[in-house]
Amino acid sequence: MSEMMRESLSALMDDEANELELERVLAKVAGDPELRQAWVRYNLVRAVAGGQHPAHPELDVSARVRAAVTGRVQGAAGLRQRFARPLASVAVAASVAATVVFGGQYLARMEAGNYGDQAVASSVSPVGLVNSLGATSVQASYGTQSVPVLQPATRTAYQELARQRLKKYMQEHAEHAALNSPNGLVPFARVPRIQE
Amino acid sequence: MTVHGFITRPFALILTLAVSGLPAAPRVYAEACPGADIEALAWLDKMSRSLQEVNYHGVVTFQRGQELQAMQVSHSVVNGLVTERLTELTGQGAEVVRVNHPLECIHPGNRLLQLGAELQDGNCGVARYYRFSMAGGELVAGRQSVQIRVEPRDMYRYGYVMELDNETGLLLKSETIGQGDSILERFQFASLSYNHDTAPDGGTRLVHQAHHPEPEPRTLSTGGGRADWSVNWLPQGFTPTDRPGPGSERRTYTDGLAVFSVFLELLSEDIRPGEGVVRTGSTTSYTRGMHIAGIPVLVTVIGEVPLNTARMVADSVEEGH
Repeated sequence: MSEMMRESLSALMDDEANELELERVLAKVAGDPELRQAWVRYNLVRAVAGGQHPAHPELDVSARVRAAVTGRVQGAAGLRQRFARPLASVAVAASVAATVVFGGQYLARMEAGNYGDQAVASSVSPVGLVNSLGATSVQASYGTQSVPVLQPATRTAYQELARQRLKKYMQEHAEHAALNSPNGLVPFARVPRIQE
Repeated sequence: MTVHGFITRPFALILTLAVSGLPAAPRVYAEACPGADIEALAWLDKMSRSLQEVNYHGVVTFQRGQELQAMQVSHSVVNGLVTERLTELTGQGAEVVRVNHPLECIHPGNRLLQLGAELQDGNCGVARYYRFSMAGGELVAGRQSVQIRVEPRDMYRYGYVMELDNETGLLLKSETIGQGDSILERFQFASLSYNHDTAPDGGTRLVHQAHHPEPEPRTLSTGGGRADWSVNWLPQGFTPTDRPGPGSERRTYTDGLAVFSVFLELLSEDIRPGEGVVRTGSTTSYTRGMHIAGIPVLVTVIGEVPLNTARMVADSVEEGH
């Protein structure tokens, strides 16, 4: 394990890593047993230092977190900007995993009015879907440390998810729209940010 | 001969159809498809072909709400191979290019608009899902146009007002019409010339090579490529744009005018069921958290279709084939 990776890992545990770094570290962690050991060890140290008893130090959670992170880094960065870093107090791993499973009090800070024109006002689903209202923060264990993972409970949370997915998938959709609708390459104009 | 779902035809045949102008439509076809405006359908056919076969370059504007984008587009055919280029003049300044796309490679969306032979077989195709009518066209980018009004026959798609070049049939302007006749999106040529591409100017920061689905031998499709999830409801007239490989997380469908894609993500955490929507212009992004066979998943439908369509499609996603 390189010193740099060790530092990254440490920063990760100290909530200092940014999302890009996190993805890189997790990619390494997945393929490096030594690094994985270190991840668990850091978790252990942290949990003990924080007065918490590690529940399952043997549990390897990096794959899980990695799965949550893969491909969602951009969305997470967007989230961060929008919130002006209100997530700083949450472990980075949690905040990034939260791009998949998130919601609750942090989202409540978003001003719903900002997106009013794009939101579908209190639409009732014809397919029997009920939106849960109100957010609950639950404790989810990432190996040894307990980090808050907030369940998507509010409409706002899901709306944010839809926004992130639009960013994530629009280009792939445009590739096919460009070949199957009569506007040539113009569907690419709908892509928020074209990637190479 | 069919390769990967795309209809390939002899090159010569396409050229013949392209230069022959509008086919005369015998009355019998009109009776086979009640309410179908044969002239409008002939223009639609011509539009779809000219999109591939005509050499042009120009400046296009693309408007959604308060947002206005400008881009340079060019399209040239050399030896049966199409090169297309789109260069953003606003915003990101990115460039999208597609080179050496064979002229005879006709994708399902375009195929659906080329009804000529289909009508003879009593297959009304896209005319079953939209009502097409002609109206007087305006001047667009200095070219006289004909107008086709496209009205959906059901609630699952949007309407369009399209202006086609009176001579070439090229789509010069297109408005996507939503509920209450609101204009969701407008695409329009500001300037246009019909000749080969001039050299693109500099200043492009990023170049993206447009993708093309990998052709795969048809014989391999039986049995082997079984996907583990499926979309079990589509609005009538929508057909897959390509054949997704095994384990693919995307499906895309088109009715010739509208396109939407469905994406599936398996989640490692449980999720409380819910739905979220974001809309920009004519694009709907609908995300649904749900369980399929007890597994938490996120289903996202993105496309130029109304919310209700996206929601019903997402609702029909199931495990298995």
